[in-house]
Amino acid sequence: MSKPVGIGVDIGSTTWKAVVIDKSGKILAKKIESSDPLIERQTNRALAELREMAGAPDDIPVGATGYGRKQVKATKVLTEITCHAKGAFYNTKSSCVLIDIGGQDTKVIYIGERGEVTDFAMNDKCAAGTGRFLEVILGRLKVDFEDIEQRINSVEKSILISSTCTVFAESEVVSLLAQGKDVNQIVKGLHDSLSTRVLALAGNLTANIPIYMSGGVAHNPAMVRALTTTSGKTINVLPEPQLIGALGAALSVL
Amino acid sequence: MRNSYIESQKAEHNRKVLAVLPIFYPKEILTAMNILAVEVWGPPGPPISADVGRIQTYVCPVVRNAFAFFEGGGADKVDGILFPHTCDSIQGLSGLVADFSSWKKEVFNFVHPKGEYRASTAKYLKKEFTDLAKNLERLTGKPLEIEALKDAITLHQKIEALQGKIAENRPCIDMSDMELYTVLRQGEYLWPEDYLAKLKEIEEKIESAPVQKGIPIIVSGIVPEPMSIFEKLTEAGAYVIADDYAALGRRLIKHDEAVNSDPYETMVKRYFSVAPCSTRSANMDLRRDHLLALAKKTGARGLIIHNIKFCEPEMFDAPLIRKHFQDNDISVLYMESELETELSGQTVTRLEAFVEMASSSRSSK
Amino acid sequence: MIKRRVQYELAKRVVGPFITSLDQWKSKQRQKKRKPRASEFGPPLQTIGKLKEIMTKHYLEGRYADGAVPVAWVTSGFPSEILRPFDFHVVYPENHAAVCAARKQVPQISEPIEMQGFSRDLCSYARTDMGNALITNTPVGRLPKPDLLCCCTNICQTVMYWYRWLADYYNVPLILIDTPFIYGAMKDHHIEYISDQLEELMVIAERVSKKHIDREVYTNILNLAGEGCQLWGECLETGQAKPSPWTGFDTFFHIAPIVAIRGTEECNAYYRMLRDELKDRISKGIGGIKNEQYRLLWDNLPMWFNVAEFATMFAEKGFNFVCATYSNAWAEAKDLLTPEDPFGSCAEAYARVYLNRDMKNRLETMKEMATAFDVDGAVLHSDRSCKPYSVGQIDVKRKFAEDLGIKSIVLEADHGDQRLYSKEQGETRLQAFMESFSE
Repeated sequence: MSKPVGIGVDIGSTTWKAVVIDKSGKILAKKIESSDPLIERQTNRALAELREMAGAPDDIPVGATGYGRKQVKATKVLTEITCHAKGAFYNTKSSCVLIDIGGQDTKVIYIGERGEVTDFAMNDKCAAGTGRFLEVILGRLKVDFEDIEQRINSVEKSILISSTCTVFAESEVVSLLAQGKDVNQIVKGLHDSLSTRVLALAGNLTANIPIYMSGGVAHNPAMVRALTTTSGKTINVLPEPQLIGALGAALSVL
Repeated sequence: MRNSYIESQKAEHNRKVLAVLPIFYPKEILTAMNILAVEVWGPPGPPISADVGRIQTYVCPVVRNAFAFFEGGGADKVDGILFPHTCDSIQGLSGLVADFSSWKKEVFNFVHPKGEYRASTAKYLKKEFTDLAKNLERLTGKPLEIEALKDAITLHQKIEALQGKIAENRPCIDMSDMELYTVLRQGEYLWPEDYLAKLKEIEEKIESAPVQKGIPIIVSGIVPEPMSIFEKLTEAGAYVIADDYAALGRRLIKHDEAVNSDPYETMVKRYFSVAPCSTRSANMDLRRDHLLALAKKTGARGLIIHNIKFCEPEMFDAPLIRKHFQDNDISVLYMESELETELSGQTVTRLEAFVEMASSSRSSK
Repeated sequence: MIKRRVQYELAKRVVGPFITSLDQWKSKQRQKKRKPRASEFGPPLQTIGKLKEIMTKHYLEGRYADGAVPVAWVTSGFPSEILRPFDFHVVYPENHAAVCAARKQVPQISEPIEMQGFSRDLCSYARTDMGNALITNTPVGRLPKPDLLCCCTNICQTVMYWYRWLADYYNVPLILIDTPFIYGAMKDHHIEYISDQLEELMVIAERVSKKHIDREVYTNILNLAGEGCQLWGECLETGQAKPSPWTGFDTFFHIAPIVAIRGTEECNAYYRMLRDELKDRISKGIGGIKNEQYRLLWDNLPMWFNVAEFATMFAEKGFNFVCATYSNAWAEAKDLLTPEDPFGSCAEAYARVYLNRDMKNRLETMKEMATAFDVDGAVLHSDRSCKPYSVGQIDVKRKFAEDLGIKSIVLEADHGDQRLYSKEQGETRLQAFMESFSE
């Protein structure tokens, strides 16, 4: 295994993620766990475990990003926007648009030819455009994550939820079920509603710039397909989509 | 702090005091009539009375907080309230306060014209000025004297000249944005002569060469609340080289001609000499060009549009301004304030990301 | 150019009326085949057929207007009488936006404009109209592009922000008639200002339309406009009968001619027809709803996207909206438009419109209305798109209860965008409100 030279940690409000990289930026070891409110304690423990996994010495530089970034001792602290851009560009090597849908926020980042951020938009005031929206409604419908794709494929039409607010959307769904509407059509509609909201955040996407996806929700193939259908463009999921921010943080200390 | 200042102004100088809502009002007339203006931009923070619930939540916090403030007794030390006709929400607030609230003292309106300069507008504005002055006699007990108005205009021109000089020389002033804007905002309630003295203190701090090291950005918006936005920008490595806040830079009058023998004519010219404002203008080109020219003249590397939630006029302009700046390779951040006391973590992240973006932008190469 | 003009005239005079007649014939055939349905409503007004004809013609000729005649886009409160002699084809974007909302299409029309960064917190009429500029097809076909934009701030300041976007987008002149808001009593210099602006308007209108007009023509136009407002007022007054011969929701549709073709003989003929039909129904005891038990006042704009559903929901429980502040606005001008002084009287009439007066004044009008129509309750639609109408409603609710003993409900919704109305929560509140009457 090549020599570990840098660590990147992305302390999100839902998940804690970190990677160890070599000088080419390749990920040598990784760690993902649920976020603990005691950020510093979690980071110290988890980083120690990660260093051991990778055989990394204690003194290699650490880049920190995410909502908890200022609570840890790090060589460099950058926002998750800049880090996601770096992590994405490492993979794409070209200018592109990155759509990152996380548990509690959604980001659209425009990345230039040099990997620099040229513009960004975030939806972090309202849960209705985030992974939380899906989580709440699917929970109410008692639908398992593994079944989503099969359920959506089994129906043609979707029933769109019009409520802007996640909490009121839940009421709307309950009312639809009471009317005897098809659960699978509702599940499809949820994915379509979320993709419309995310694309509204993205604004006008020009034809020839490639679009990539990162964040936990990228693991949901139905969501990727919904975004593809709604936008009419190809959406590629980056490798290790949940770790893009941590990767970018690690690259920033090279 | 403001309350004790207001009390001393009344006791020592026998001045009447008017609470004034945003944005544009003829301060010169108040000065000439020995009336102190105390501007009410919010106030920020949680509303001070439950009466805030009498205005719907989809109305801007400036209006909601102001209503709660008046009903909660926050303005009890003043003698009256002046409402400029800035927008639909302030329009409604004026009626509510005058006729449906517990406020029993005077209420005045300044229904200024909208749109660019026209012969009809100038004629109307002059009459609205004289009408306001006449109405203010209810407060002072005596009419406005023409010579006093001329003197007041001259005094305000001195203040504006200094404000202009400070704005021009911002990079050479060794004060943080927080320090500088704290003083500049005192113009919202100080008697003009006291404010002039404060500005002179800043003038003395102008160095012969630039001392500001951070990335220069410009900010446009309504009012800098919370003020901690300045601290966060400094921490992120940026500074405000010029502003287009409605409470500050946007109202800077650029008129230094000698006062006309009919000072109301001068007042009309002065009204039209400020920067274009979304609440008054019918021409988008003027606003866009003005802001871009400001950015280019100062070498700003980014623009922050610091709007207030539900402020309609600004929301109509923001996307067009953003596009214009992006077409000219200048980064833009749009953020909204709800007059909260502290910036949220999310907002700070956005500010920092914006500064990171602006510092690596093409325009910096 | 000539071909275009021919198309325009044909659309107006031949094709429009033909399409409407065909439509009416088809509708009659369908009715013959269908069994009559049980309904909470009285029989539909016959005059609605004429209304459809007028509006179909209006939108159809609009499709051919640009390139044929000069086109002006105008706000609903604009003194359009002054424009009429210049022969502009006049478009009312608000009316068009209401049609889009009634077809529940505002979300998709607003989408491209939201993609450009415009907030969903902006007035839904504005978003619909701006979005419409970016798409090729609207529910009415297409709107002709403007040669002139005319906005009057008597209904709100938002029209100025909206129309300056339009002026920027279409690159055409914008006429702004700035009507100072009335706190208490109207002032002379306010009327003078508006009158001066109308003179300035003439200069621009002449330049764009390439037509010079003689001011004498205004005498006839103003006579007609005043008469039209009078007739509309008479129609509205019939709601005082018990039962009211029509519903408040009906008035929201029949208002179209007084807004869009005010100052014409066609408009007045329409309202004579409508008035006579309404009076006839009163003489026969025919109500707008079958079982009128409670009479309500509706405040603020309608919720265009669910008028029929609302009307049914209320009618089922015996509630009829017998009056509405929105519909009443157009009746008020009847005494103010005097042909002897067209500019001065227009200035005053347009400054005094309902929404340009302070809350205290509006509350007095509401109370007079509530008393004249003998209402039992009120629904105050808290329209998030319309702040001039909505700010103060919570105090209106209190005053209605304290001063008149009338109970009201404040309903948070929107006039155009159904995404901004929480149906479940709203209907629960309305059901509870209705139930409270029988306690």
